[in-house]
Amino acid sequence: MPKITIDGKTIDLPAGATILQAAQALGIYIPRYCYHPALSVSGTCRMCAVEVDKAPKLQIACATEIADGMIARTDTAAVKKARKDVLEFLLANHPVDCPICDQAGECSLQDYYMDYGLHKSRVAPEDKIQRSKHRAAGRYLVLDNERCILCTRCVRFCDEVTKTNELTVSGRSDASFIDIREGKSLDNDYSLNIAELCPVGAFTSRDFRFKQRVWFLKRIKSVCTGCAAGCNIEVHYNENTVYRLMPSPNPETNTWLCDRGRMTYKALQAGDRLRKAFVKKGSMEIEPAIRHAAHLLDEAARKTGPESVVVLGSPYLSIEDNLALAELAATSLKTSNLCLDFPREQGVKDGILINKDDAPDANGLKLLKARYAGLDQGALIELINSGRIKLIVAEARALSSLKEKLRELSNIETVILAVTKSDLDFESACVLPYAANFETEGHFVNYKGLLQKTTPSVAAPDGVKPLWTVLSKLSSCTGAPIRLEDAAELRERISEFIK
Amino acid sequence: MIEIKKVNNRPLNLLERIYVWEIFKGFLVTARHFFVNLFCPGKIITIQYPEITRPLEHAAKRRTRHRLKMRANGTPKCVACFLCATACPAFCIHIEAGEFTSSQVEKYPAVFDVDLSRCVMCGMCVEACPEDAIAMDTEVIPGGVLKREDMYLTRNKLLQNMPGDPSIKGAANRLA
Ligand code: SF4
Ligand code: SF4
Ligand code: SF4
Ligand code: SF4
Ligand code: FES
Repeated sequence: MPKITIDGKTIDLPAGATILQAAQALGIYIPRYCYHPALSVSGTCRMCAVEVDKAPKLQIACATEIADGMIARTDTAAVKKARKDVLEFLLANHPVDCPICDQAGECSLQDYYMDYGLHKSRVAPEDKIQRSKHRAAGRYLVLDNERCILCTRCVRFCDEVTKTNELTVSGRSDASFIDIREGKSLDNDYSLNIAELCPVGAFTSRDFRFKQRVWFLKRIKSVCTGCAAGCNIEVHYNENTVYRLMPSPNPETNTWLCDRGRMTYKALQAGDRLRKAFVKKGSMEIEPAIRHAAHLLDEAARKTGPESVVVLGSPYLSIEDNLALAELAATSLKTSNLCLDFPREQGVKDGILINKDDAPDANGLKLLKARYAGLDQGALIELINSGRIKLIVAEARALSSLKEKLRELSNIETVILAVTKSDLDFESACVLPYAANFETEGHFVNYKGLLQKTTPSVAAPDGVKPLWTVLSKLSSCTGAPIRLEDAAELRERISEFIK
Repeated sequence: MIEIKKVNNRPLNLLERIYVWEIFKGFLVTARHFFVNLFCPGKIITIQYPEITRPLEHAAKRRTRHRLKMRANGTPKCVACFLCATACPAFCIHIEAGEFTSSQVEKYPAVFDVDLSRCVMCGMCVEACPEDAIAMDTEVIPGGVLKREDMYLTRNKLLQNMPGDPSIKGAANRLA
């Protein structure tokens, strides 16, 4: 293996590695714009220049492969001058729009200018080349050509990752600019990654635009529950509001994040977010609604026996919440009509991330099925269609997923658990809200069998509690509590599933 | 200039301990003020603030009530960059950004509130502004109001140009 020395530190790396990668392994930071670890090397920005012994001039670290005995330096006067000069070139026609630029605060131009530049501009503002500003680019993006430094990261992303080739560099030399190819529009399923990988404020997100300055945002790692891929995310929030979701790269799950996943936080603020319960279409405080639901359960069990009640698990719920549902059936209602069987087709749909299964926890549900057994889905549907069932307790999306197979539900009463009104597909006697995945901790098993948990970042609306708490209260009202009152009890009970 | 006065803590002498003479001296001071105020009102030291104020000197003028400057076309110069709110040590500036669709200056403050009851008049907001959009040169000293709301300035109360404005400083101005 070639041995390379950078700034006096030596490392062995396999042939083919570049100086930039070697420096990274040694903990030496080399500034870069066009290099991105997940994209091909283009060497357009020249920001990463380093001095290499015996080379006649500076070499770019991102594209120069290491050779045995190579000695490179990143701290010489020539390197410092090169960085300063490259920055001056990049900023020559730059509008320095920072006050109206969403990138400010996480912009490499700002950061490197403070670290390596600090030059006075030699181009008067009125002499700078003006280009198109805030051009709409697809559903989620806005393009500002003046701010672009032509690193081509965005072009390479569309060519190499999504393979949709929407972007290209048009024009020549200092008149070149990023353009959308004719006849195309930038609306692939991963377009928001471009706003993120653009090192400057040329591509910005229309959704996040002007909502919040990035330096106010707090960050916390969590897991996306948009599909079975289980991508790791970073939730950016401030003052009890989530503003955006970013990927938190994990070799086991994801480098990028799909647009739909990035928008999952919208459910929190949606106009149809349930903050109160609904009983016969009338809004009601949550506590009395839980008592009402318990009354419905008691009535059904008293009149037609516990076997006339069905409880459905849900591939959309965390292990915690499904456990509470299973316990509700087994301990509290004493019915054997529990269904935890939701077979779903899984696998990467587009060769990148998005999974065929849009439910995040079908595999977590299988763990519970191994312990609680319950009905097969076929048997359940037959049972419901047979007309012997008087009451269904279910999470909204799980019940909707069976919609096609079920006959009219109009003479069956339902207690439905939901986060937003738009999830509701059926008329229901009683709808109980619960805390969304950004508001409570929950364990999910992705399509590969990886167990991960979400972290709460914001508080649920007043009075809205995690589903397991809601179900625990519900069970106490029926007189046979499932005893899941606090986090400690919950932890003990799910420990067997989350080993 | 604050002068230092050394207090002489010697024991009281007989005349002072008798008390009556000292009381009489005190009355003389009160009586002098009474007659001066009665016959020569020009010499009264007390000012009837807030109805009457003293003219401000030099830099003190730059620590008075805020205003937001306007461009020649009447739009606010402020672009809701949040730098003043970030610099403010009293957390009394509340901004919500809006998006201009008609102007090249994409951004404007849809909401811009300054809570003067929390403001410490430090001037950091003026210092921080990259657009030269906020100033504290109205020469109005906040305070002496009867309602709390009167200490709460909203965007429309803040927007006010002074003679000589609009200035042309600020990066976003080229787009206006
Ligand atoms: S890209 Fe935006 S934040 Fe970065 S230097 Fe340019 S205007 Fe400022
Ligand atoms: S738009 Fe951004 S990512 Fe694309 S070339 Fe310009 S600076 Fe690079
Ligand atoms: S003067 Fe100081 S305290 Fe008052 S708004 Fe400005 S920065 Fe805040
Ligand atoms: S710093 Fe200036 S431009 Fe920025 S928000 Fe404050 S007043 Fe507006
Ligand atoms: S990072 Fe090496 S040339 Fe851009």
